[in-house]
Amino acid sequence: MSQACAAKPLGWEARLGLRFERAGGRTVLADRRHSGPLVVQKALYPEGDAVCHAVIVHPPGGIAGGDRLEIEAALDPGAHALITTPGATRWYRTSGPEAAQTVKLRVAAGATLEWLPQETIFFEGCRARYRIEFDVEPGGRLLAWEFACLGRVRTSERFASGEAFQSLSLKTGGRVHWTERGRIVAGNSALGSSVGLGGHSVFGTLLASAPGLDAGLAAACREPRPALGEGAVTLLPYALVARFLGPSAESARDYFSALWRILRPALLRLEGTEPRIWRT
Amino acid sequence: MRIMITTTASTSTDADVSLARLLRLASPALPVGAYSYSQALEWAVESGTVHDAATAENWIADVLAVSIVRCEAPVWLRLHAACAANDPQAYARWNEFFLAARETVELRAETVQMGRSLVALLARAGELPETSRALLAMLDEPVFPAAFACAASAWRIAPRAGLTAYLFSWAENQAIAAVKLVPLGQSAAQDILARVIAALPGALDQAFAIEDEAIGSLAFGLAIASCRHETQYSRLFRS
Repeated sequence: MSQACAAKPLGWEARLGLRFERAGGRTVLADRRHSGPLVVQKALYPEGDAVCHAVIVHPPGGIAGGDRLEIEAALDPGAHALITTPGATRWYRTSGPEAAQTVKLRVAAGATLEWLPQETIFFEGCRARYRIEFDVEPGGRLLAWEFACLGRVRTSERFASGEAFQSLSLKTGGRVHWTERGRIVAGNSALGSSVGLGGHSVFGTLLASAPGLDAGLAAACREPRPALGEGAVTLLPYALVARFLGPSAESARDYFSALWRILRPALLRLEGTEPRIWRT
Repeated sequence: MRIMITTTASTSTDADVSLARLLRLASPALPVGAYSYSQALEWAVESGTVHDAATAENWIADVLAVSIVRCEAPVWLRLHAACAANDPQAYARWNEFFLAARETVELRAETVQMGRSLVALLARAGELPETSRALLAMLDEPVFPAAFACAASAWRIAPRAGLTAYLFSWAENQAIAAVKLVPLGQSAAQDILARVIAALPGALDQAFAIEDEAIGSLAFGLAIASCRHETQYSRLFRS
């Protein structure tokens, strides 16, 4: 405690608060508050008025030791937002304190959130704490994914040191209905074990929670298979969950995009047309 | 002197009953249906990951180290502590957490079915005090570790002994599943069990050391295997 008080904060403190509401037939970004380097530059409407696309930009380009990032978004009844990022979220090597990013997303009844960020990269030597909490009221709709690489996959860098904690959770009415969390510690046997990450450098989870999920849709989601690596689907009482393990972020994104193109028309009555920013 | 003897005798009678109750909880004869679940071992065999005694032992030891030690075991300890403190909020919260952390629908259904069966069994035998029955009755979907830990706490079984018994019964069930699936001989299964037992003290130490915030396993391989088991064409087990 005394140490923490004595030391000057080393990293960026950044906060972003968004609120989307429905105005007539349009989803508008009604509130946009930020402090520090975390912004949404523009609300985009590539699919027409109903769906607001928001791209969250973190100008420093990566998260370093001591950084504290907080993102909150609230979707009011009837609003539909698709939130993504322009590139990978990079957690850099540090010899300093842990870095943390906390994301809290609230979806009202009748609102729709698509949380489709590009990949997280946990660089060798990082100390990361990443938490994402989805709070979805009954009657709200959520399609979300998260996928992460350990080390830079295009180089020979391996995750030989470092530590990352990641937590995803889905709440409804104050109750946690689904959660997936844990620590990834370099050198731990869980990284190589076929029970854990199986020696793969990329792991990912897709989550869908919406009225209309059923066994038929789960069966349809079992058809696509990742080009590289493994993918599988389960249908839990409050969510459909797909998981990926493999060698590349591209393979994870292609697999989850294939599922999203099945889930989006079925649950949201919209075509699964990929945001252009994913391919730039 | 006489008082000392009386005290010792009384204490050991309590201890005898506690030990016998613990053995009963951990027994494969406990009618909660454990024998019908393989926890994705059946898919691990189908896919070839597990194909002999050595690979079966690796799989079982890894499920313990990667998954159970980092989630189920520390949750068990918190459920036990909540019962000992008669703290209904904490008990319900950890039950909810464990349910939410089940990776697949089969793993979720397994713990709910076994939990309900054990609750029914405990109610029938009339061996639990009112406070413990009230805790169990409060939960819509009592998970298996919640029911087991509640009984252990009510019967004054220390957390380390109770969790050891819980993990032993899990390991024995996995070894029996391996006998049927790989298949293995009984002696090979006992060899696996002996080595998993040798790993239990370390597993228990880790389960005791983990902080609330760090609980969770990220056992993606296990989760994917369990998903695959859902659609496995021919199967003996329900998970």
